[in-house]
Amino acid sequence: MRILSPASANRPRSRTFGAGFSEAPLALLCCATLALAFPVGNPQKGKHVFETHGCPQCHGNQGQGFSNAQTQAPRIGPTRLSQTAFVGFVRHPVGRMPSYPSQDISESELADLYGFLQSLAPSVKADPASANAQNGQRLYMSDGCYECHGKEGQGSTQTGASRIGPIQIPFPAFVAYIREPSAQMPPYSAKAVSDADLADIYAFLLTRPQSTPAKSIPLLNQ
Amino acid sequence: MPKSQKASVKRRDFLKKAAMGAAALAAAPKLADGKPAGGTPGRPVAPVSPEAEFGTPPALEVLTADRTGSDFMVDVIKSLGFAYVCANPGSAFRGLHESVINYGGNKDPEFITCCHEESSVAMAHGYAKIEGKPLAVFAHGTVGIQHAAMAIYNAYCDRVPVYIIAGNILDATKRINAVEWVHSVQDAAAMVRDYLKWDDLPLSLPHFAESAVRAYKIAMTPPMMPVLLIADGELQENPIPDDLPLAIPKLALAAPPQGDSGAIAEAARLLVAAESPLIIADRAARTPVGLTRLIELAETLQAPVIDQMGRMNFPSRHPLNQTQRSRELACDADVILGLECSDFWGALHSFRDQIHRTSLPLTKPGVKLISITAADLFSKSNYQDFQRFPQVDLDIAADAEATLPSLTESIKSQLTSDRKRVLQDRGAQFAVARQESLERAREAAGCAWDASPISTARLCAELWAQIKDYDWSLVSFTTFVNRWPQRLWSFDKYHQYIGGHGGAGIGYGAPAAVGAALAHRKYGRLSVNIQCDGDLMYAPGVLWTAAHHRIPLLTVMHNNRAYHQEVMQVQIMANRHSRGVDRAGIGTTLDDPAVDFSKLAQSMGLHAEGPITDPKDLGPAIRRALAVVKRGEPALIDAYTQPR
Repeated sequence: MRILSPASANRPRSRTFGAGFSEAPLALLCCATLALAFPVGNPQKGKHVFETHGCPQCHGNQGQGFSNAQTQAPRIGPTRLSQTAFVGFVRHPVGRMPSYPSQDISESELADLYGFLQSLAPSVKADPASANAQNGQRLYMSDGCYECHGKEGQGSTQTGASRIGPIQIPFPAFVAYIREPSAQMPPYSAKAVSDADLADIYAFLLTRPQSTPAKSIPLLNQ
Repeated sequence: MPKSQKASVKRRDFLKKAAMGAAALAAAPKLADGKPAGGTPGRPVAPVSPEAEFGTPPALEVLTADRTGSDFMVDVIKSLGFAYVCANPGSAFRGLHESVINYGGNKDPEFITCCHEESSVAMAHGYAKIEGKPLAVFAHGTVGIQHAAMAIYNAYCDRVPVYIIAGNILDATKRINAVEWVHSVQDAAAMVRDYLKWDDLPLSLPHFAESAVRAYKIAMTPPMMPVLLIADGELQENPIPDDLPLAIPKLALAAPPQGDSGAIAEAARLLVAAESPLIIADRAARTPVGLTRLIELAETLQAPVIDQMGRMNFPSRHPLNQTQRSRELACDADVILGLECSDFWGALHSFRDQIHRTSLPLTKPGVKLISITAADLFSKSNYQDFQRFPQVDLDIAADAEATLPSLTESIKSQLTSDRKRVLQDRGAQFAVARQESLERAREAAGCAWDASPISTARLCAELWAQIKDYDWSLVSFTTFVNRWPQRLWSFDKYHQYIGGHGGAGIGYGAPAAVGAALAHRKYGRLSVNIQCDGDLMYAPGVLWTAAHHRIPLLTVMHNNRAYHQEVMQVQIMANRHSRGVDRAGIGTTLDDPAVDFSKLAQSMGLHAEGPITDPKDLGPAIRRALAVVKRGEPALIDAYTQPR
């Protein structure tokens, strides 16, 4: 599984993860070539965690979610959150979801749970490992991704678009969310953007530069 | 009264008679057989008299007058304390115009030349939000008000006083030519009455004086809104009769309405007992005092504040400013106090704009909602700015700023020592959370830091570095730059932010910024405007107004070369139809050719640079522009930016 950096793992977490992972502390990011693997725990063990901790009661047996005034549980199979944001949200949820502290679910169990949830993504007929990032950059612009997420994938609070550069979720979860977004994002059907095109876009997003740490920027310390 | 006036013939009467004579000759209706219509059959129509045909003989005609109605109107206007009148010149108020600049000495009010009535009103809108009182606007009764309409609507939605005087010629027989006919209207206020608080058509000078004072009082009573007076052309231009008693009524502004004492005590009880109270402030602070009062309330309760930024309500770095956690806190709250919320319902719900539009409450069951707003005291039907009906538990129809002292006092009287200790612990947690929010914002700002086009975070950080040591004011709203100023800068004075547009009528930004800068000028403050490109394209002539009147204003363009909100709207539709979004730029972008805003500004007399695409070049350019602004002139930096 992917391991959080010590700095990230120990960092005090605020309760804003539910606003989307654009505000989440950055995970230790992989370089483009390594990130394609996205080790995310043991899905089989994760299924057990899912079933024994009450997740289906609100999110459904397949994590499909229910959205009504009583439940308001979004789809989480797969989740659009990065693993870091996912862990942060489970520990400090927003809204009606109960909190799951470490004595209830360990870090290891959460990693397995994340792996299970991401395994629920439908199969995808494309492989970003062999995708064309340069073409992905062109598609990122022509398909309008930049309009809400910014030209570097930095996200925007005004548009409500998450930070997606570099991308931090597995490719199948990326595709699943784009096809059927649970929030405000407009859906992109396969007719509009093929899986192969999404693989190229995904590859482009993996190449986006890491954020410059704020402490190294004098203008951001005033 | 001078002798000459006693014998004077009214200008319009003279012209009327001449016109009547000509009309009688040219247009006397005839029957089909060529005989004149009307009158006794067979009887000839009386010939037009020489007087009707040619007017008063030149020897008897008096062409000048020492004092006309417009002079008295200026006396009235001066009595109301207007420092400026913004106007695009128009014949319908030529009498007023001349009286302001000559009889009134062009001082209090000073005539500000505007290039569009929308600019005039939006300047007044921005000015009022800084100065706390209106400036006057003159406009043509037809085409002028038509141009001004959207800006009036913005001010109406934003609960801002704007004082408009429009010229018109009501008496049809006094209109001398075709243009005066097409520029006249039966009911000039009708086209904007739906978004005025009050209007009147005075028929005499005493009537004008009374209505002018009444209009000012109404505009300045919360909820504040625009008012409109019609100044008829005859009333402006005719000499003041000798025997006409003229006086200007005394103005006493109405004390803002305060909440009912019983309701205030109940609100205090709920807030003191709450485990997770939340304050949501939208247009809560009308004056600097409002900001101070909200701080006192929040600190007394140690309750978090969500600032919706309709006004400068609360210091951005105050430990209790939890604006970045609005959704989370709304979910957790057990008592929520809304202060002048324009959309209280919307603040407490989430929305999903898909084919099936849905909304869900953010709040937990049983939450108690308290609303204090003066909007409850004045409602109209047609325009839907009143938003969705909020199902509150305690509704206090009153001005929030005026009500806060009694609410805070009531809370203090109900707080026990034990309760105070609990509240202090609560406050300490918010202080930690506030610091975390700031750190998160800074980390997020580091993303795309060196990107080109320039990120909006970088633009705001570069700007903050240059202005933070001045007495500055951000005279533009921050929605389209991701609220970076409020996330990164330290706002702690009321005049440092003017809030939003009210009615989301684009084209407000540039003139409102110039109007606010006009208000700041006498205080020597540095006015800063982050200017959207699409907004400036509506009426860029306001840059000339700033240059002409030496209004110091630093403008930095947020030039994303599009009406970007609309790009996204079209994209939503294209996605919904699975037609691809590559054509979403058709009709929504401003990029072929790209507008050269620096040349545009230079052509109107401003110092300007750009377009700047490399973020490293932005700081030095801002420094150079700042040197110009410090000399008392406007300057503009054009920066190519990320979409948001």
